[in-house]
Amino acid sequence: MNKKLSLPLEGIRVLDFCQMWAGPHATEWLSVMGAEVIKVETSSRIDYMRTVGAPPGMAGKGPNVGSAFASLNWGKKSITLNMTTPKGQELAKKLIKLCDVVAENFGGGVLERWGLSYEEMKKIKPDIIYYAGSGYGRSGPHKERPAYAEIVDAFSGATFSNGYPGGEPNVIGVSPWTDGAQAIHGAVAMMTALYYKQNTGDGQYIDAAMIEGHANFLGEMVMGYIINGAVGQPVGNRDAFMAPHGCYPCKKTGDEDEWIALAVADQKEWEALCKSMGNPDWTKNDAFRDEPGRWENQEELDKYLSEWTRQYGAYELTERLQKAGIAATPSFSTRQLTHDTHISARGFFKKPLHPVLGDKVLAGLPIKFSDYAEGNYQTPPLLGEHNDYVFGQLLGLSQDEIRRLTEEKVLS
Amino acid sequence: MTPQALSNVKVIEFSDFISGPYCGKLLSNMGAQVIKVEKPGLGDKARSYGPFPQHIPHPEKSGLFLFLNTNKSGITLDVASADGLKIFQELIKWADILIEDHSVKEIERLGLTYAALKKINPSLIMTSITPFGQTGPFKDYKGNDLIAAHAGTEGFGNPDEGVKDPASMPPLKVPNHAADFMCGLTAAACTLGALLGRKNGGQGQHIDLSKQEAVASITRQQLAYYSVMEETPSREWGRKKFGGFLYPCRDGYVVIWIGPHYHLVVKMMGDPDWSKEEMFANPLMRNNYIVELNQLITAWTLEHTAVEINNLALEYGVPCSLVRSVKDLIADEQLAYRNFWQEIDHPVAGKLKYPGAPFKLSTTPGIINRPAPLLGEHNDIVYGEILKYSQEQLTKMKQAGII
Repeated sequence: MNKKLSLPLEGIRVLDFCQMWAGPHATEWLSVMGAEVIKVETSSRIDYMRTVGAPPGMAGKGPNVGSAFASLNWGKKSITLNMTTPKGQELAKKLIKLCDVVAENFGGGVLERWGLSYEEMKKIKPDIIYYAGSGYGRSGPHKERPAYAEIVDAFSGATFSNGYPGGEPNVIGVSPWTDGAQAIHGAVAMMTALYYKQNTGDGQYIDAAMIEGHANFLGEMVMGYIINGAVGQPVGNRDAFMAPHGCYPCKKTGDEDEWIALAVADQKEWEALCKSMGNPDWTKNDAFRDEPGRWENQEELDKYLSEWTRQYGAYELTERLQKAGIAATPSFSTRQLTHDTHISARGFFKKPLHPVLGDKVLAGLPIKFSDYAEGNYQTPPLLGEHNDYVFGQLLGLSQDEIRRLTEEKVLS
Repeated sequence: MTPQALSNVKVIEFSDFISGPYCGKLLSNMGAQVIKVEKPGLGDKARSYGPFPQHIPHPEKSGLFLFLNTNKSGITLDVASADGLKIFQELIKWADILIEDHSVKEIERLGLTYAALKKINPSLIMTSITPFGQTGPFKDYKGNDLIAAHAGTEGFGNPDEGVKDPASMPPLKVPNHAADFMCGLTAAACTLGALLGRKNGGQGQHIDLSKQEAVASITRQQLAYYSVMEETPSREWGRKKFGGFLYPCRDGYVVIWIGPHYHLVVKMMGDPDWSKEEMFANPLMRNNYIVELNQLITAWTLEHTAVEINNLALEYGVPCSLVRSVKDLIADEQLAYRNFWQEIDHPVAGKLKYPGAPFKLSTTPGIINRPAPLLGEHNDIVYGEILKYSQEQLTKMKQAGII
């Protein structure tokens, strides 16, 4: 039978204990692709992100004000369940029976304390996929170390190589970059395990360490050390071969500074760039004649080029260079990107229609399938919004039981 | 034999450098059969990029290429020739997945649009990676790692602390082709979603992966801040209010994450009198006075070595790390304990240590059991055994420069 799916992960259910950034964004990928992701929180210990990035005047006003949370939890369902109570643990076990995946990114040992180690979970649901996300992994001498994106960046060598040529190291921004990598590696890991489960019926345990994903992201630098003993250094916007290859000032056409990033890949593109500039005298300088020359003299080259770029707005210049066959883009601020017509035309931003956040746009996920719906962009859930659905419909508790368990602070 | 999660999945990788190949690597290291299609002659751009031993270029010794193409088979094919196109179409019939990173116009020119390939293989999943996506006013624009970082706001936002002179210090791309890697990773997540959907009763699928969107998706929290808090971003020094901060020490740098750990941080510093000041009484106050707070912490970190601070942090449970180079990462005891690194022997590059799987799956661990292919190494196997061409036909194709 060829049933028509509206989204690819329809029918898959996830019990999601993840908090903060990397964990929630990993399960957000599954949620937007159609899985039913049930997020478990306790009123006394909500996901911290629920409070982060509140609209003006709303800071500190309850668990539903965080735009950070909203942007990391599209389409999920939210329940409140006090996991420190025996009844709470019993209900969690009943939910696990209905799930394909359990995901968590606590410091080690939390689920074990609730009687939900992987071994215990397998007794309840033999084919369960258990995703454990952490900074350093769930085994080894560093397994207890607290980790955040910026800490792992420093640990792995990314901060060391992030900066201006010859300058100091810098924290990578503006996003928690390594959290992003960890999240999507996590989504890939869970979907790989789901595929295996669909083929064989077997679940498994996933131990995803940020440092191991990051050692892959830094594969080029890792191999550089292994092959040559080179530890790398900050090179700014530069490339190992191309020049010009950088970010240059533009004319301010609005409220904010404007910059353009551009890269010249070969001689043909260099000539196209020269033509675009009207072949000024400095381009005929012997130092800039060929690729090695331009690379050797790129500091000087960048100075000349900046004098030219600063006469134009970033959009105007991007269009002109791209038409000439040169890779270029405005270096967007978050504000500029939010107002950009290209990315908006593609529907990247979505309106959450959220009772607190209103219809302010949030980033969607970079998922575009030809033959599925655009994604599960249901409003990011209010705390406990789906208690009735999950405990009533899925677990079959009566309204009276739900009321009683709420009063007894189990569903809380 | 150790089972592999994707062992029955067949992939054609028709893409260059980092994004497409990292997507292919995530599949090949989980057992998928990946055939990498390279252009005859030079092959993949990563072959000429390095790093090379003693910095001497050699197409079989590029560290980047060796790393990105483990477990793959490699063939050469001139897809632009009429015979090459025919062979490529036969490969498409064989495949579950095509990963490609050509411009929209180039794919049209080659006759390899999704509409055309779907006719040959209706259940094909085609993952197209382009700088700005398949639609919209910028769809034909060129790009690379630098362009993706800046187009997706990660350039404008880097460094995180802001800069001391915003006029002379331009927005900065993330280091080490990190944007290209992020795009490849994102493409793999989309591809696996489509694969699961197909297994689930869904159809073949075209995936339109925009590198700009893949990067912008990572800055979602800051995009939300602009949208909801009406916070106008700036590049001024000191803009960062929370998260991990970089502190100079007597002999280097450490990063410390204060956040909810303020009391541990000040305890580690010996509970100085200033730490009890009203201005640092709660998280909101500390955010307002973060510049002052960091100045006070810096005065302390400057009196200590990075290792001293890191040891104290470990003792007090403060999230902290030395700012280390990749050398220390490779020597780290944690990764050794977890058997992360894998030694792989390559016929030309020799025995080298490689990063292992980015996550550990207990039943189907990612295992690298083959080095990256030599240029055209698997022509005979792929064309002979899979597509059933005769030796005579193969010789002719070689002479014509098609393979």
